[in-house]
Amino acid sequence: MKALATLTTLVAGLLLTGCATQQAASDLSAFNAAKPRSILVVPAANKSLDVDAPNYLLTTLTVPLAEKGYYVFPVHTAKTVLEQEGFYDGDQVQKQPPESLAKLFGADAVLYVTINRWDAQYAVITTTVTVDFDYRLVYKDGTELWKANKKMQYSPQQQNSGSPLGNLIAAAVNAAMTRAKPNYMPLAQQANFQVLTGAPTAIPDGPYRSVN
Amino acid sequence: MRLIQIAVLGLGLALGGCATKNSGLYDWGGYDAMLYGAYKDPTTAAANTQKLQLHIDKLEQGKLKVPPGLYADLGMLELQAGEKEKAQAHFRKERDLWPESAGLMNALINNGTMPKAQEAKS
Repeated sequence: MKALATLTTLVAGLLLTGCATQQAASDLSAFNAAKPRSILVVPAANKSLDVDAPNYLLTTLTVPLAEKGYYVFPVHTAKTVLEQEGFYDGDQVQKQPPESLAKLFGADAVLYVTINRWDAQYAVITTTVTVDFDYRLVYKDGTELWKANKKMQYSPQQQNSGSPLGNLIAAAVNAAMTRAKPNYMPLAQQANFQVLTGAPTAIPDGPYRSVN
Repeated sequence: MRLIQIAVLGLGLALGGCATKNSGLYDWGGYDAMLYGAYKDPTTAAANTQKLQLHIDKLEQGKLKVPPGLYADLGMLELQAGEKEKAQAHFRKERDLWPESAGLMNALINNGTMPKAQEAKS
């Protein structure tokens, strides 16, 4: 009986907290009123020093948005079409009014991302990799539907080898490897996933998720 | 005993209710990694285009829905490699599967190369 009581309490706890991730959510009234079906992701504006960051980030946004149930315009196609129109970088694209971008592609909404940080900071025996993005989703009539910021950081965790010299060497090897080839992609993917699906910034489900 | 059944049912609901939120709608087959590879090292564009085609073949054979954008981006990679016919066939497939893409896909199909601002009129 005691086990049963525990189980019941556990279930109640899960019911109450397990899915209650929507508290203190951002104001989604404009989003819910607009009900966009399709999202155009345009190349990001870049405030970081890494010139490749916008292209790399572009490849990470389709999956989480489409899995939320939206039609996401093919990012490589959209980028190529924009280049044909003379827009070679995200800063230029983002100065275009959302109304004209949405009309050009037939999109319901446009997602603008600004890369604030995409860098690796080196200390003696550790390296911290950071990404930081501003997101803004704008409806085809110019109404802002949603905005959020997400920052993610990673520093390689050092294992305790039991000896101070061993720890120092392990940390130095880790730092050297991160320094040689910082891997931003998992961080960028996590940032996008968390900001789009986690509290308090999650966006509502789109039409392709609702029907299932 | 009944109570246990209710509790178990409740547990199932609690776990199931959350789990469905995260279940995937599509099989992406590494589409994001293929694009990343093509951007990181443009000499791998052909190999990555091939991988994307193979993944789409697999989905079609298994009668699974091809995720948004895959046909179109495959078409664009082909167009950039000079394979206009293949590209147009893939743009048509994107349009037929995803009606939201019709404006852009029609512009790409009719233009043969790239749309200029004319699709904004439609």
